[in-house]
Amino acid sequence: MRDPMNPDYRPMRLDEIDDSLQKEIREKCGVDVEMCMECGKCSGGCSNGHVFDYTPRKVVQLVKLNAEDTLINMDALWICLSCHLCSDRCPSGIDTPRILDYMREKAYRKGVTTRPKIRLFHELMLSSVQKSGRISELPLIFKYNWMSGQYMKDAILGLKLLLKGKLSFHSPGVKAKEDIRRMFSGSSAKRTWGEP
Amino acid sequence: MGNRTKTAVVIGAGPAGIEAALKIAQAGFRAILVEKEAELGGTLKQLCSSFPRWEDPQELLDSKILELQACPEVAIRKNTVVTAGTPNGNGYIVTLSDALNAQSDEVLADAIVLATGFELMDISIYGEYGYGVYPDVLNALEFEATLKEWKLGKGKPPKGVALFKCVGSRDRSKGNPYCSKICCMYTAKQAGMVKELFPEAKVYVFYMDYRAAGKEYEEFVREVIEKRHVRYVRGRPSKVLCEDGRLLVRAEDTLLGLPVEVLVDIVVLAPAVVPRPTTRRLAQMFGAKTDEYGFIEPDRFNPVQTAARTFFAGGCGFAVETPLAQQQGAAAAANVIALFRLK
Repeated sequence: MRDPMNPDYRPMRLDEIDDSLQKEIREKCGVDVEMCMECGKCSGGCSNGHVFDYTPRKVVQLVKLNAEDTLINMDALWICLSCHLCSDRCPSGIDTPRILDYMREKAYRKGVTTRPKIRLFHELMLSSVQKSGRISELPLIFKYNWMSGQYMKDAILGLKLLLKGKLSFHSPGVKAKEDIRRMFSGSSAKRTWGEP
Repeated sequence: MGNRTKTAVVIGAGPAGIEAALKIAQAGFRAILVEKEAELGGTLKQLCSSFPRWEDPQELLDSKILELQACPEVAIRKNTVVTAGTPNGNGYIVTLSDALNAQSDEVLADAIVLATGFELMDISIYGEYGYGVYPDVLNALEFEATLKEWKLGKGKPPKGVALFKCVGSRDRSKGNPYCSKICCMYTAKQAGMVKELFPEAKVYVFYMDYRAAGKEYEEFVREVIEKRHVRYVRGRPSKVLCEDGRLLVRAEDTLLGLPVEVLVDIVVLAPAVVPRPTTRRLAQMFGAKTDEYGFIEPDRFNPVQTAARTFFAGGCGFAVETPLAQQQGAAAAANVIALFRLK
């Protein structure tokens, strides 16, 4: 949030904060942050919470405080695994990963990230899905290691997996290529994941 | 005492006292309902709305007063205080003083029901909140009056209101160590009322936690937060300052660990519920026990009895919400009736 070392630092003024982000999240993500009871169950179980700068509970708080800048620039945006433990266990049914997805998209469009390699991985993975409708694991790993300059990353593990037949050089694409094309062309906005 | 109809003196005509007097009379005994004010109703009369159903307390009061009027066995004594109680055989001689006519008379009582209610702690000792200094810092009962005015379309609409809970409660330094129990709910109600009357107003409730233990209570508070959009900020405010004729509240948002400020027009403090000084005096008169604070202490095995012929109900025992005051009034009446029926 604000830097206390800044000589112009003033405490946050609640009455000057509007609820535009809160409304935006409600409209775009269907998530009502006012339902949060601030119990912290989301953050207690978060699989990466111990390394987050802002835990899921704080993410919800930040939305209430209209702190869009903080949300876009935070590290948690990129190291969240989207495992959905937080939303699965939330007693109020708040879909925190949906908020993070939405903010990640915003950060991506602005070109901001605390973890360029993770963003690169996202890009490569999605381009693989766009091409074949599947993730071709081995080509993805090679590409990622090459482009991020970590040539030998996970090489031994990868070799073991390969020998056990857990990784293959080629994965066949899906049949419904047209659906994939539509998904990436943006027309999928009419559909949401999980719905029939 | 012969075949005279047995009589109970009920002191205090709030929801607890009214209920006790009604039930005693409806069971065929006499009740003298003593009220120091000019009107019946006690604290309930001052309230603007109720939780958890947003009902008008005046409707409840009006219906109870109608019931009282249909009950000739209840003698209502307004503007009257009990000035003396002398043990007399199996009862008391009670001196009633009429404040208006400066007269007093004596009545025979076979049982006493104390229903003197509670009052709010004097919170001017918290200099940091400026109660008694800034006219727009109100206590909760004063704010009920403001809400009544607003409801009638009078007064200036506020742009911002901040409500503080636990002022003098859960305070082992200057206040009381106990939780006053009703503040969480009435504060939610008051905050929700402001949003109902002025949806554009920004309303903040500063809290340590909200204790909504009761039927429909949790749902009520959630409605205030989620449907009426009252902002709950976790943290006990530390200072109220005057800034440009408005009030600046300083607190910490303890959920984020950040100091925060908010500029509002009105600050409402929810003071600790404390016993009235008269309760202690009356308790001594009628052999009742009081605890370290001055609330009536019950018998070990009877929660509405405190001495052989002395019962109590409502806020003089501890902070209660209206339905509980009524329940205790009815329970005290049941005890009085049982006592009167003893051969």
